[in-house]
Amino acid sequence: MTTALSRPPLVRSSDRMIAGVCAGLAAHLGWPVRMVRIGMVVAAFAGGAGLAFYAWLWIMVPTADENAKRNARRPASPIAPAVSAPGPLPVPPGFIAGPAPAAGLAEPVSRPADGRDGLADVGQPLPAGSGTSQGTAPTNPAWFRFRRMPFAKEILLGAGLLLAGGILTARMLGVDVPLGTLIPAAAILGGAAIAWMQLDETRRAGLVDKTKADQAGGWARLAAGLALVVAGVLVMVSGSGSWEQTWLALLASVAVLGGVALVLLPWGLKFWRDLEAERAGRVRATERAEIAAHLHDSVLQTLALIQRRAGNEHDVVRLARAQERELRGWLYRDPGKEAGQLSERIKAAAAEVEDSLGNAVDVVTVGDTAMTERHEALVQASREAMVNASRHGGCTVSVYLEVADGGVEVFVKDRGPGFDPQSVPADRMGVRESIVGRMKRHGGSAVISSSADGTEVRLRLPSDAADNGEGKS
Amino acid sequence: MNNIGTGDAHAGGVPAIRVVIVDDHAIFRSGLKADLDDRVTVVGEAGTVEQAIAVIAQTRPQVVLLDVHLPGGLGGGGREVISGSAALLASTRFLALSVSDAAEDVVSVIRAGARGYVTKSISGAEITDAVLRVAGGDAVFSPRLAGFVLDAFGTAPADIADDELDRLSARELEVMRLIARGYSYKEVAKELFISIKTVETHVSAVLRKLQLSSRHELTKWAAERRLL
Repeated sequence: MTTALSRPPLVRSSDRMIAGVCAGLAAHLGWPVRMVRIGMVVAAFAGGAGLAFYAWLWIMVPTADENAKRNARRPASPIAPAVSAPGPLPVPPGFIAGPAPAAGLAEPVSRPADGRDGLADVGQPLPAGSGTSQGTAPTNPAWFRFRRMPFAKEILLGAGLLLAGGILTARMLGVDVPLGTLIPAAAILGGAAIAWMQLDETRRAGLVDKTKADQAGGWARLAAGLALVVAGVLVMVSGSGSWEQTWLALLASVAVLGGVALVLLPWGLKFWRDLEAERAGRVRATERAEIAAHLHDSVLQTLALIQRRAGNEHDVVRLARAQERELRGWLYRDPGKEAGQLSERIKAAAAEVEDSLGNAVDVVTVGDTAMTERHEALVQASREAMVNASRHGGCTVSVYLEVADGGVEVFVKDRGPGFDPQSVPADRMGVRESIVGRMKRHGGSAVISSSADGTEVRLRLPSDAADNGEGKS
Repeated sequence: MNNIGTGDAHAGGVPAIRVVIVDDHAIFRSGLKADLDDRVTVVGEAGTVEQAIAVIAQTRPQVVLLDVHLPGGLGGGGREVISGSAALLASTRFLALSVSDAAEDVVSVIRAGARGYVTKSISGAEITDAVLRVAGGDAVFSPRLAGFVLDAFGTAPADIADDELDRLSARELEVMRLIARGYSYKEVAKELFISIKTVETHVSAVLRKLQLSSRHELTKWAAERRLL
């Protein structure tokens, strides 16, 4: 497992015949897939070595998906992804999967003081998925110890394989090995291993998080493990006993198991509920801390500033407008919407103009589109128009953005004294170059109409496909 | 938000419009009261849904300036006040006044029966003009509300096949566009070479469509929109 760092990570490919092992291996080693597959098949005939190797890789190597998810939570580890151990980092007690989950969300939020168990997910606000599931691990000390040692899984498996090989060799050499005891014992171990395996990092989330649909696989695995263990125990206990006895033993064990479950169920449920409540409480506390931090950084600071500048009406209005805009953005912003949209850029430009010149700039948008280079020019021209409107109009500026199939239109209107576009001196670059010229260069148009009631700049940028002149007005 | 037109014909000997202010912030209520000019008189105030319904039933104002977000009641805010005063809708008109311009809030209160919507940041004179306009039976659209309407109904004019309520006519679209661009009714009238009365008729027609359209996209759209 000492993988060269330059190689692509060993993951099971989605381009699969059975489990994507060969394709993944080929990608990892840089060999042609076909060769790896043929090699695997040939090896399979050599006493099943290929099969064993395939099965081993199948179990140990995560799929590309799983790997991506894991890496998202844990910044690049030098260890091959198959090794889910936390690496050579010393793991403080209580930390299960290492400090990595918190690293991605370095927030300036002061953690609640009661986060005594130092769970890494405290800093995570909303998604109750992956990170939160770490919270169940402390209930599971066996898992925890198992995880502490790097490569534990590999060493364990290797030891098991060596043992099996040794036993087989010994038998061939004529030593009498009590197979009757060993096989059931192996079955028990194998069953337990399968059951535990599902606590593999990515599946743990699915097991704990009820919303995941991945549960069926988990339960099937658990059932298979249980069946193996039970069968192993039965064979071991009943030895060469008759069917009757076996049946009775099975019945008895089921009865005992049922009894134990009945006794432990209420306790287990209570424990589970406490855990859920605690987790919910922690999420709430985190949220509250985040809101408090935000309000402190923004609103309280602004209020303090406003008190200090109470004498200057202009400053107070400006501060209030800027704070309102910021808070509104924080409260109502659509988290699903990416930032590179035209309407966002226009709003940002308006906010900038509002901040620098002090007059309110109201933006109304209809429709939206992703930014392109031409839209960038439109935003620049709009910004220039807003600056002019705010500076010369001297009052509130109205901006209207409409994105339709035919193109994008921006209207910037003020109610200032107006001016004659023809009489603008040639050396004033603002209108001529930054607005009209820029729009023309990008295949658009700019019309400026001004009267005593105000000025309106109309910018139009046809979409690349349809160059059909005027839509309206 | 300066579309609501400035000069209005209602000044002079006309009796003042009786108004109730419903807002849960006492500071805002007193500020607004001071801002409104003498063409309106404030006959009552309320801070919760229950108070508002009681005060409106008691004073029978011509116009209610109604905040969208209100404590009390079943949590429905301004919408609940309107439905609680349904019996008076013929004589009392509601003008939604909100600091929130989240589309779902605005559209829900309009669909409950409000005659218009303005943001709290507009000046006293503009609010007064809006009150007079609403009292006269017309609708008041802020640029942002016009933007919402265009977003919800789409910017393409109606086809004949469509339900009349589900689309805006070409003229209505033009009026909405101009209002969204920050034009006052007077400026819209001038731009389109029609009378102010015609503009008001168009806006009222749009309001009616906004209130009555069963267009499922509209509700869906309003629910989806949490953005400004």
